[in-house]
Amino acid sequence: MADSANDSSNEPFDLVRLCLDEIVFIKLRGDREITGRLHAYDSHCNLVLGEVTETVYVVEEDEDENEHVRTVKKQSEMLFVRGDSVVLISPHAA
Amino acid sequence: MSFFGFDSRLPRDRGHQTSAPGFGATQDAFDGLQSARAADNDEILNFDDTYEGLGGRLDDAADDLNDDTFGDEGPVTQKNVGRDFDFSGQTGNVAQAFEEERMRWAAQHAPSRVSPVKKAAAPRHGYRPIQELEVDADLWGIAKKEPEPAAQPPPAAARKAMTLEEVEAMMQAQSKPKAPQQAAQQQYGEPSMQQGSYPIPTNPQEYQQQPFMQHQGQHHQHQGHHQQHQSQHQQQQQWPAHPQILQRPPGQPQQQQQQQQQPPQPSQPTGQNRPPQILQRQRQPESSPQQQQQIPTGPKHHGRQQQQQQSAHQQAPRQILQNPNRLSGPGQPISHQQFQPGHGRGPSGPIISHPSQILQLSDEDRAAYLQEEARRAKRNHKIHLLSKHNGLMTPQDKNFITRIQLQQLVTATGSVDSEGPEGLLSEDFYYQVYSQIRGAPRQNPHQPANQFAQTYLFQTGGRYGQNRRHPRGGENHMQRMEQQVQRAVEAAKAKPKNKQLVIEGSLGKISFSNAKTPKPLLNIKRLDSDQSVHVRRPSRHHDPTEERRSALKNIEKVYGALMETEDHARLRPLEESEMFDLWAAKTQQLNDKLWASLKAYEPIVENHATLHPFIAILSHAKGKKAIPRVFRHLSNEQRTVVLTVILVHLDTLDVVHNALSSPIPAKVKEDIELFVNAVIPPLFSHLNDSPLVITSGLLGLIVSRCDIKAVTRTKIGLQLLTMLVARAELLREAAVNGTGEPGSGPNEFAQYTSVYNDFFNALEPLLMQIWPRDASGREASPLASEDVYVWQFLAAMGATASAEQQQRLVLGVKDRVMSSVGAARTLPAGEQERRLGEVNLFMRALGLDVELLA
Repeated sequence: MADSANDSSNEPFDLVRLCLDEIVFIKLRGDREITGRLHAYDSHCNLVLGEVTETVYVVEEDEDENEHVRTVKKQSEMLFVRGDSVVLISPHAA
Repeated sequence: MSFFGFDSRLPRDRGHQTSAPGFGATQDAFDGLQSARAADNDEILNFDDTYEGLGGRLDDAADDLNDDTFGDEGPVTQKNVGRDFDFSGQTGNVAQAFEEERMRWAAQHAPSRVSPVKKAAAPRHGYRPIQELEVDADLWGIAKKEPEPAAQPPPAAARKAMTLEEVEAMMQAQSKPKAPQQAAQQQYGEPSMQQGSYPIPTNPQEYQQQPFMQHQGQHHQHQGHHQQHQSQHQQQQQWPAHPQILQRPPGQPQQQQQQQQQPPQPSQPTGQNRPPQILQRQRQPESSPQQQQQIPTGPKHHGRQQQQQQSAHQQAPRQILQNPNRLSGPGQPISHQQFQPGHGRGPSGPIISHPSQILQLSDEDRAAYLQEEARRAKRNHKIHLLSKHNGLMTPQDKNFITRIQLQQLVTATGSVDSEGPEGLLSEDFYYQVYSQIRGAPRQNPHQPANQFAQTYLFQTGGRYGQNRRHPRGGENHMQRMEQQVQRAVEAAKAKPKNKQLVIEGSLGKISFSNAKTPKPLLNIKRLDSDQSVHVRRPSRHHDPTEERRSALKNIEKVYGALMETEDHARLRPLEESEMFDLWAAKTQQLNDKLWASLKAYEPIVENHATLHPFIAILSHAKGKKAIPRVFRHLSNEQRTVVLTVILVHLDTLDVVHNALSSPIPAKVKEDIELFVNAVIPPLFSHLNDSPLVITSGLLGLIVSRCDIKAVTRTKIGLQLLTMLVARAELLREAAVNGTGEPGSGPNEFAQYTSVYNDFFNALEPLLMQIWPRDASGREASPLASEDVYVWQFLAAMGATASAEQQQRLVLGVKDRVMSSVGAARTLPAGEQERRLGEVNLFMRALGLDVELLA
C-alpha cells in the first residue's frame, strides 16, 4: 500500500485521476467548455467523457457592429476529447 | 621553449641573438613597418619616385625570350608548372619529424635523469639502451652547483645564431656518410656491457655534461626546425652520437681514441686509470678539438654556446625537467639535497660519490658495486621508459587537481558511510587511485582499493613503484596537500552525520548536499497516514473540500490495490505447483493492502463530525462501484466488518443522509440506484451466509446507534433492514423446519427476538413516515410513488412479528393499505394486479390478503 499511497499526489495526473468517474469541467481551445463525467484519460490529456454537455461560445456581430456572444450547447452521451485542445480540467462544482 | 613552440626561455637563455633571424628570435615583425610609417610622415611619397619610371623603359616587343624564361608557350596549368622546387614535398616529409621531435624533446626533458640519447637511438639499434644509460649525477650526491668558470663565455658570442654559411657547412657535414662512426659506437657499447662498467661516479663536470648534451640536441633541433628541414632526420639520427661519446663508459677503444686525440697522459694502470681519464677528457669539454670532431653537426662556436646554456641550466631549478612547458626562473631554487635521499637508498653499500673512492675498494666490493650499478642503471632505464609522460603536469596543475579532489572528497565523505567500497570508489576515483599510488597514508576507513590501485598501477606502468618515493620538485607541496586532504577528511568524519538542519519555525528541513545526493531545496516530511490523521483529528469543524479530496484519494488507493489484486488473481498457479505458496503469500499481501486501503477497520467514532473513511469512500459513485469487486477478494471476516461498518453508519450513508430531503435530488436518486445495484447485492449475499448471531447483532447495532427515523424513511435504509429481518426470519423458518444451521439455536433466537422487539418498538411510531414523500414533503400518494420496498419491509417485519406486534403493525399502516388498494383498483388490470400484489406482500405475511379488504 505504501507505494501507491505515496504516489497518489506526486504528479499532476494524479489529481486528474481523483476526478475519474466524477463530473468534471473542461475548458478547451476554441472557446469551448465541456462538462461531463470523466471516464478515462491518458498522458496526453486525451479524455473520454460521458454525459457530456459541450458549450461553444460564438461571437457574432450585428448590423451595428455590436458584438454578441452566443452560446451553442451540445449534448453527447460519450465524447472523446483530444488532449492537445485541453486547456483546463477541474472538478465540477457540485 | 614551450610545448607550442613559443620561446619561453628567459632572455638570457635564448640561444639566438634577437637581431638575427633564427629560431626563437623574437623580432618584432612590424618593426619595419613602423619605421616605414615614420618615413611616411616625413615626406609624401611620390609614385613616380618609387616607380622610377621603369615602365617607360619597357620594351613591349622584347618578349621573345619569355618562353625560355618562363617555360614553353601554352596556358600555364598545374601540369606544366615546374615541380622541381620543393617546399611541401620534402618539408612535408619532415613535418612528421618536426612533430616527433617536438614530442620527443618534451619527453626527454621530462625525465631528468635520462639523456635524450637513448630515445633517438632506439629506432636504429633496437634494445640496447642500457649501455647508453648515463648516470644521473645527483644520484651520487655530487655537488654540481658551482658553475665552471670556463663555461661562461660572453653572452653575446654565445647567442650568435648560425650564419647561412654555417648552416650550409652543417648540412654538408651531415650529408656525409656516418656509418663508420656509428659502427665504432656500437663497438664501444658492447665491451662496456660485458665489463659491466657503467658510468662511474665522476666529478661535477661530468654531470654538467648532461644538460649540456641534452641542450645541444635541443638546440640543434631548434635550428633544424628553422633552417634545415630536409636534414632534420639525419640530424636526429646522429644525435645519439654526441652523448654517447661523452658519456661512453670508459671502454678500451674509447680510451684509445681519447689517447689519440688528447695530449698524452701520464700512464696509469688501466683499471684504476679510467675514471681520471674521463675526468681529464671532460675537463676540457669545449676547448679540446676532439669534441668538435665527434660532434660533426656542431660548428665550433656551438660548443661555447652550449657552455653558456649549460651554465644557465645549472642555475635553473631541476623542476624544469619535470615541466618542459614552463621553464621556471631562478626564483624557485630547490636544493639538490632534497633529491638525494630517494636515490641514495637501497643496498648499494657505501655511497661512492667520488671515483677515487672506488679505487680504495677491494675487488669483490668493486664487483658488487658495479653489479649494483648495473642494476641501478637497468632500473633507471626502466623508469625512463615508463616516464615518457612525466612532467606533463606542473606542480601547479597537480595542485589544482588536488584541490578539486579535495573539495570533492570533502563533500563526498558526507555519504560515504552509506556506501560500500565500490560507491566510495566511484565517488572519488581519482583521489583513491592517487592516494594509493602515492602510497599515502590510508586516510579512508574503507581502504577499498588496495588491489584495485595496484592493478591500476600496473596498467599505467607502475611509474611510482609501490614503496618508492619519487623525489620530485613538488614533493613538499604534494605532501602538504596530502596532509590537507587528510585533515579535511578527518574533519568531515568528525562532523556529525547530521545531514539535515531543521530551523525552528521553518516549514521543512534544509539538507546538505553532496555530489551523490544533490540538495533538495525543501524536504517536507510527508506522512503516509496523512489523510487518516486528518480524518481522525478530533476537531468539530472540517473542510468539506479536503474531506472530499481525501476520500477521492482513498478511492484511488482502493482501486490501485484492487487492480493489483485482480491482476494477481489472474496469475493463480495450480495448487500443486511450487509457485502456489508464493502466490498465496503474495495474495495475502495484496489482500492486506486492499484491506488497509478500504479503511473499513478504522475506529468508529460516534457523533464525529467527519465521515468514517470507509463511508466517505462509499459516498462516491466509484467507491460504490468498487464494493462488489472488492468483496470478491475479501475474507468472510472482512466482509462482515464491511457489512457492520455500513450498517452502523446507516444513517450517515450518503444514500440515506441525502435522501431525507424531499424531493430527492436526481443525483441522489442515481446514487441510491447505484447503491442498490452495486453495494446491496454483495452485502445481501454475504448476509445470507451469515449466522443468526451476526444478523441479530447487526440489527441491535442499528437500533442502538442509528437514527431509526432517518434510516426508515429512506429506501436504502429500509432495504437493508428488510434484508436483516428477512434473513433472520429465513433462519428461524429453517430452524423450525429442522434444517437450521449451527449457531441458530434457541439462545440466539431469544436474543434476536429481544433485538427485534426493541427495533419494533422503535419503528412503531414511525410507521406513518416510512412511505415515500412527494415534492412537498408530504406522504406521496400510492400511485405517484414506488413503494414496493416498503411493502417488502413491512412483510419481513410482519413475518417475524408476534401476533400482538402484527396487530400494532396493521394499525400503523392500515391507512396506507386502504389507500393503496383503493388507488390500485382504479388502475388498468395489469397495473392493478401489480399494485395489489405489492400490498399483498405485506398482507400475506400477516396471513391476510387484499381480497379480504374488498
